[in-house]
Amino acid sequence: MSTAGKVIKCKAAVMWEANKPFSIEEIEVAPPKAHEVRIKIVATGICRSDDHVITGGLVMPFPIILGHEAAGIVESVGQGVTSIKPGDKVIPLFVPQCGECNSCLNTKSNLCSKNDIGSSAGVMPDGTTRFTCKGKAIHHFIGTSTFTEYTVVHESAVAKIDSAAPLEKVCLIGCGFSTGYGAAVQTAKVEPGSTCAIFGLGGVGLSVVMGCKAAGASRIIAVDINSDKFAKAKELGATDCVNPKDFKKPVHEVLIEMTGHGVDYSFEVIGCTETMTAALACCQYNYGVSVIVGVPPAAQKITFDPMLLFTGRTWKGSVFGGWKSKDSVPKLVADYMKKKFVLEPLITHTLPFTKINEGFDLLRTGKSIRSVLVL
Amino acid sequence: MSTAGKVIKCKAAVMWEANKPFSIEEIEVAPPKAHEVRIKIVATGICRSDDHVITGGLVMPFPIILGHEAAGIVESVGQGVTSIKPGDKVIPLFVPQCGECNSCLNTKSNLCSKNDIGSSAGVMPDGTTRFTCKGKAIHHFIGTSTFTEYTVVHESAVAKIDSAAPLEKVCLIGCGFSTGYGAAVQTAKVKPGSTCAIFGLGGVGLSVVMGCKAAGASRIIAIDINKDKFAKAKELGATDCISPHDFKKPIQEVLTEMTGHGVDYSFEAIGHVDTLTAALASCNMNTGVCVMVGVPPSGSVISIDPMLLLSGRTWKGTLLGGWKMRDCIATLVSSYLEKKFNSDVLISHTLPIAKVNEGFELLRAGKSIRCVLLF
Repeated sequence: MSTAGKVIKCKAAVMWEANKPFSIEEIEVAPPKAHEVRIKIVATGICRSDDHVITGGLVMPFPIILGHEAAGIVESVGQGVTSIKPGDKVIPLFVPQCGECNSCLNTKSNLCSKNDIGSSAGVMPDGTTRFTCKGKAIHHFIGTSTFTEYTVVHESAVAKIDSAAPLEKVCLIGCGFSTGYGAAVQTAKVEPGSTCAIFGLGGVGLSVVMGCKAAGASRIIAVDINSDKFAKAKELGATDCVNPKDFKKPVHEVLIEMTGHGVDYSFEVIGCTETMTAALACCQYNYGVSVIVGVPPAAQKITFDPMLLFTGRTWKGSVFGGWKSKDSVPKLVADYMKKKFVLEPLITHTLPFTKINEGFDLLRTGKSIRSVLVL
Repeated sequence: MSTAGKVIKCKAAVMWEANKPFSIEEIEVAPPKAHEVRIKIVATGICRSDDHVITGGLVMPFPIILGHEAAGIVESVGQGVTSIKPGDKVIPLFVPQCGECNSCLNTKSNLCSKNDIGSSAGVMPDGTTRFTCKGKAIHHFIGTSTFTEYTVVHESAVAKIDSAAPLEKVCLIGCGFSTGYGAAVQTAKVKPGSTCAIFGLGGVGLSVVMGCKAAGASRIIAIDINKDKFAKAKELGATDCISPHDFKKPIQEVLTEMTGHGVDYSFEAIGHVDTLTAALASCNMNTGVCVMVGVPPSGSVISIDPMLLLSGRTWKGTLLGGWKMRDCIATLVSSYLEKKFNSDVLISHTLPIAKVNEGFELLRAGKSIRCVLLF
């Protein structure tokens, strides 16, 4: 029986306020308006950025449906939607691609102005929400909201993918994998034979390791204060693993000594201002490139000696791996299908959706890399 | 009568200690050792970086012979020097190019490890000085020291130029012109049709304006709190000139409004922590490139919101325009002779070396752009 055009009642994990557990609720999901798409979510990953909203590190309005890394099947489309149809396998895009704005028109950029990352409005582009629960309007999260059986996104924020793709794996292409892999191959454009250092070996950091390896780096130094993370980093291509706690001297000095003069490329994949500065300082002082990938807590500033930059270093940031989302996500899925890269090592836990709080506990205690929730 | 192999007694402007005027003294200049070159300086420009040493903003040992932007004629060469001979017209290079170190071997970099900018040792590569005055050893300045009739530099720190070059004009290619012009065309690689903002309209800032214009920028916004600087900026290609003092709101907001979404390239050619941050924030949040050109004072720190970088901006430093100087300086001088650029416009004053203190006063009072001292 078709649900098209009707409100759908379904299960969702609602975050009613900060620093609380998720509440599994029955919610109502309105049908998609013009240029919108309603998606049945099949699998969704747990990402540290979702947790930052809960703890206040990333400021968003409550109550909210979190989750932004997912894959699903289109249930229905609103008026005027031509690029997608019911039954299509899709990945929602927290960085959209409208194709018309300044960023979309520039070949080098990918931060479409229709994103809701900076504005944190928590609504659809028309200013309203499609979710209600117990009579209250529930906010969207950066144009996605995937901790729910059904979600509604704008057409510019969803990409059609290969119908053979296993959704419980490729959901990671919606955020973690693409963000890290792209930081290396797309933003930094790591060159063959070069040396790389990666600070932070979570799902995104390990994806950076994969990207550096795919790009042909000769030395990939993985840095984390949790030595449990090293085995997987080595499996994915790290040549050296360094725990800053094992050294008296600052870690950037350790890295400069290890390489003689600093690395060609460094990546900060944690979101901590001290490691951002260490990552900058550990790259070669004149031609080194340092990329910030991790989301820093709101209102915290980085303080550093400007001479670090003056000598010639390049410091850049990267959102979603620098990829233009709607163009790139289908290609990344196709590459996965051709086995150009693997996702399985990143998925340490697969849980039913109702165990979402357990999934977040695993993240917070450093026991998981990516937990995928299956709906 | 040949002076080769002998000590030369000559005139020099000695800086005996910080925050004092220059003292015109008779000094002794030892002959060049192996792989060294003794040069008769013909013309030398006054650069803000020389002044930073006097005021302590750039820490160097005293007593010292300053000056690093000059042109002259080779008087004699030490053993083993093959690339240069007596009578050659040359420009000394405060960033050398040994050809062997990590930076020299990397195609993208230019900060040869033999530089004395960071180490501030104030001596020749063999650890000794060639200058004495009143029985005291006098320090060298970043491998050059050009406020003197004769100087000695290492072979890696001097380049031969076209014998037809007018030395009192091309001396600026030894620092100010190349630093600014290169920041635009070599470091930032400004693209045709793009928008640029330049903070600071001294000799280096104006050279950035020239570089942006040569690169085909469609909009060149020149920023300075001293409106006397605007006329020359417009003459050299600035399309808009603004003073932050004319606005209540922060200058980066003004620039973002003027351009709709921030400039493609911004340059800070002053060396102030506040304008360094404003320049970063003025460039487009996802595709913008900000280049730090001005030398920040010793011991300064900058604090920035990491979101400025995370959204995708690129921030980089540059020294001597990013050029490998021994390779490039002869070409730059030839380009000057072919009138591909007009660096003469930067020379606002020409004075005899005996008036060096007057030259520095003009700089400090904001009355000069480049003052060239003649011997």
